[in-house]
Amino acid sequence: MIMGKKQIKIQIKDLGFYYKNQQIFENICIEFENNSITTISGPSGQGKSSFLMALNRLWESIEGAKVKGTIRMDFGKGFENIYHKNYSVTKLRQRVGMVFQVPNPLPMSIYKNIEFPLKLRGEKNKTIIAEKVEQTLIESFLWEEVKDRLFTDAGLLSGGQQQRLCIARALVLEPQVLLLDEPTSSLDEKSVQVIEDLLLKLKKKCTIILVSHHIDQVDRIADNKLVLSDRRLVQH
Amino acid sequence: MGKNVWDMLLGFFAWCCAILLAGSMILIIGFLILKGYKAISLELIFANTSPLDALLFKQQVFGGLFPAMVGTFFLILLSMGFALPLGLASGIFLAEYAPGSIKKIFSLCFDILAGVPSIVIGLFGFSITILLHHSFNSQIFPCLLISALSLAFLVLPYIIKTTQVALESIPLLIRLTAPSLGATKLENIFLVLLPASISDITSGIVLAIGRCAEDTAVIMLTGVVAVAGIPKSIFSGFEALPFYIYYIASEYSDQSELMKGYGAAIILLLICSGLFGISHWGKNRLTAKTRFNY
Repeated sequence: MIMGKKQIKIQIKDLGFYYKNQQIFENICIEFENNSITTISGPSGQGKSSFLMALNRLWESIEGAKVKGTIRMDFGKGFENIYHKNYSVTKLRQRVGMVFQVPNPLPMSIYKNIEFPLKLRGEKNKTIIAEKVEQTLIESFLWEEVKDRLFTDAGLLSGGQQQRLCIARALVLEPQVLLLDEPTSSLDEKSVQVIEDLLLKLKKKCTIILVSHHIDQVDRIADNKLVLSDRRLVQH
Repeated sequence: MGKNVWDMLLGFFAWCCAILLAGSMILIIGFLILKGYKAISLELIFANTSPLDALLFKQQVFGGLFPAMVGTFFLILLSMGFALPLGLASGIFLAEYAPGSIKKIFSLCFDILAGVPSIVIGLFGFSITILLHHSFNSQIFPCLLISALSLAFLVLPYIIKTTQVALESIPLLIRLTAPSLGATKLENIFLVLLPASISDITSGIVLAIGRCAEDTAVIMLTGVVAVAGIPKSIFSGFEALPFYIYYIASEYSDQSELMKGYGAAIILLLICSGLFGISHWGKNRLTAKTRFNY
């Protein structure tokens, strides 16, 4: 599937996902455009989350999961096979951020949550860290709400705030691809609105793939709508 | 209605069990205190030696409990020194690295080890000592080091199992958080998984410490003696409180000696409570502070 003349970010060929020898989906061939929001919907248990995990190789942390096929991404140096044996999975996950269905802040302060991936990457300069934390929180529409309590437990934030914190944490590494697994399913209407606005803004610098059950949400923000059902990923 | 009655009966039964257990504990401790409180004095611990001299190891204490207390303390320290790193590492291996079949075999081995009676482990330590004495170096005798090693074996399964279970019970979402941000497996274990399970792991450690402090069978065969003074090195014999209590209880010659036995039991209880207290304090501090400091 080729979409106009726009730049392609991700190329997927013959992708199959298996869990404990059971096939979840197979033969998925698709391309994702740069700076677009693609939504994936479809019935539960069809492997939407597995599909996202194939894109950042997170399934490798799950026992019994297996992937076949190739995924190539263009991070500015031409297409690279992310499953090549020399391709660093750490680098990949710094470029392909992920946000989960349930907000999962680590049990530490708001500041430390955002600082965490920077420290993992080896950033030691405290001034740079502080700047990035502030900048990312502003970008995620969270700064005004938390600037006076950066060093309090992230678990004390509301659900919507926690999810924006998790988005901020994924954004602080400036990923080029952002995967979101039903990020608004546990949130109230107002929080959903804020996150949707955020995604529309982020589209300018990221390629966003969003799993969503809500048809109206899909209609509001998607540039491209896909449905995963019967082991196939098809255009809606 | 019928269901309701069963519910009430079950609740009542549960309450009775809890009260019975708590009651037995209070009874035992009460009995000890009632019988032994009169024996508790500085003299019981230090006999005729000045406490300061004894505490600074300037002068040996004869006839007091001090050497046995020091012996027990060193024994716990040494055994935990061996068991803790080994147990934590094995637990982490089982939970995070071992593939399915190996995990099953190892888990079975550790379960069997957990079921081995302490006297058997003592005998094993003793046999090894004899073997080493005959074939390696005739200077090797039962000593503090061998007791500590044998005890470490005794408590290893507790530490391994609690570490493994604590790590395995971490929800998938938390488990995937750090890797999704670019953490390696090792970083995930040390920065997220271990801190998240530190509270459960400490419970296992507390249990292991208690076991080290109270076990008599193992040390009886591997190095403890009735009178040895403060151990001069890890290669010398040592005194220990549980053995002292056992020894007095079986061979006391008069009432005052028996009183000393009760006194020793209370002191052992106090030492264990103290260690539990420290562990819980450490656990609370860690869980409050981990907030993942790295």
